[in-house]
Amino acid sequence: MGEFEPEKILEALERNGVRYVVIGGFAGIIHGSPHGTGDVDITPEQSRDNLERLSRVLVELNARIRTAGEPDGLAFDHDAASLSRTRVWNLVTKYGDLDLTFEPSGTRGYKDLAARALRVRLPHVETTVAALEDVIRSKEAAGRLKDQITLATLRRILEEGG
Amino acid sequence: MRGAQFVREARHRAGLSQAELAARAGTTQSAIARVESGTEAPTLERVVELVRASGFDLQFRLVPLEEAEWAQVEALLRLTPAERVDRFEKVLELSSAGRRAVKEARRG
Repeated sequence: MGEFEPEKILEALERNGVRYVVIGGFAGIIHGSPHGTGDVDITPEQSRDNLERLSRVLVELNARIRTAGEPDGLAFDHDAASLSRTRVWNLVTKYGDLDLTFEPSGTRGYKDLAARALRVRLPHVETTVAALEDVIRSKEAAGRLKDQITLATLRRILEEGG
Repeated sequence: MRGAQFVREARHRAGLSQAELAARAGTTQSAIARVESGTEAPTLERVVELVRASGFDLQFRLVPLEEAEWAQVEALLRLTPAERVDRFEKVLELSSAGRRAVKEARRG
């Protein structure tokens, strides 16, 4: 594991014109959660053109399959078609871990999330992040024990005006 | 936790010596010691039996294998404590910046 540089991952996506929405724990961080995450989760738009751009970004980021016992990940070939055939990709890149999830729990995917996503300017990159309500909705549907504390924080942030 | 660790942890929580647990389970102190040290690999049934003799129970359920998540733990364990703290500080900085950015986006 090298540096975790999530903005550099997002910068590569933006520079290559990939349509996506940031979701999951990293979206929670953008909304103000102090609970750390080790990866950037995104939901890509699923058109062939977009997935071709995404595939090029994955090459640029030297993306490999993330799995236990393989610190550098496993090499894999990919293109638009192969990316679309698997619903979740857990990857390691030269800037940190990147997860691609086409239909996050409790959502209907990119169009569903993009409808009320926000365009936000981080210190080094502009990105599209899921609405806090959708981050909460997805984590609630996933029902994972590890999300429970984060969910309590996110609900509080929402109560405080998001 | 592995079987031996469950047995040892249950005995500790119950405040029992190995000899006391052995008496409850109808075995010898040396047999308990072999299980707890890992010298002898107990069956699942044996682990449950010894845990119950300590006044606890084990519950099992199937959950999805989280290979990718464990890979992250392995990677974090390879970092020094200072490097882990540095990563966390960066996350906190992004959290503050993100919150400001979201508020600006909503205003805009």
